[in-house]
Amino acid sequence: MTAAAVQEPITGLLDAATVLAVADDVWTSLVGDGEVLVPLPLPAPAETVSAWVQITGPWCGAVVVSCAEATAEALTGCLLRARPPAVLEPEDVEDALGELANVLGGNVKAVLPGPSALGLPQAGPNPPAARPGDLCRVDAQWRGQFLTITVQGATGAPHAERTR
Amino acid sequence: MRALVIDDSRAMRRIVGGILADLGYEVRPAGHGREALDVLEEGSRTGWLPDLACVDWNMPVMDGLQFVSAVRSNPAYRSMSLMMVTTESETGQIVRALAAGAHEYVIKPFTPDAMRDKLALLGLLPQAVAR
Repeated sequence: MTAAAVQEPITGLLDAATVLAVADDVWTSLVGDGEVLVPLPLPAPAETVSAWVQITGPWCGAVVVSCAEATAEALTGCLLRARPPAVLEPEDVEDALGELANVLGGNVKAVLPGPSALGLPQAGPNPPAARPGDLCRVDAQWRGQFLTITVQGATGAPHAERTR
Repeated sequence: MRALVIDDSRAMRRIVGGILADLGYEVRPAGHGREALDVLEEGSRTGWLPDLACVDWNMPVMDGLQFVSAVRSNPAYRSMSLMMVTTESETGQIVRALAAGAHEYVIKPFTPDAMRDKLALLGLLPQAVAR
């Protein structure tokens, strides 16, 4: 393995404050003026839904947003506030959470070494596994509900600590 | 005025389409570049060609950059303005999009005011709104 192929752990590239700053901007513009993500952890609900995008480049990994289903529905309502659908379908919620992950991912990508490519958003109950210790996580609350944003290295990426 | 909103996210199609509709645009959606080209081909036959296309970058089937290149290679669509609306914010990507023929570039997330400002730069604010 060459040195150029070794991936820096995400903790060496950005910190939670940077992720939170990105999220703050996304929340204000996309979720709504005055909507705030509060960086105070809450216990995770029994079931969560997630959406994520993969980043591929000098750093490979994913940006994952996770929250309770009801929180995802409320977020969808905010995103679609100007043009709400008559009935909120599960596909609307998956799509909106995916777009939130997409916008977060694109703005996180912008602060990572590049050039990088952004994958298409995906959503579901089982986001990709994070490599232990190679993640930057913001545990937060939105409207008093659990929500996390995780920037995590891909399990298959060659990591610096493997070669040391 | 007419606009084509091309994004694989139905939420984003609603958001962008809603902003444009509020400005007085007649809006049609497309989920990816190929679908948008189909709308344009149909529009060539029926007389519905947009003044503006708002184009996401990362989409399945045909991405935004491929769509921009395809539109710019067709003289029938020469009068249409192309605005990228995307999370791709690296300078190199912006340069690629503009070199391919995009006229303006909006980075997500954006506010309605930011989009309105870009439309004003393109001279695409409906007169009643611009006053």
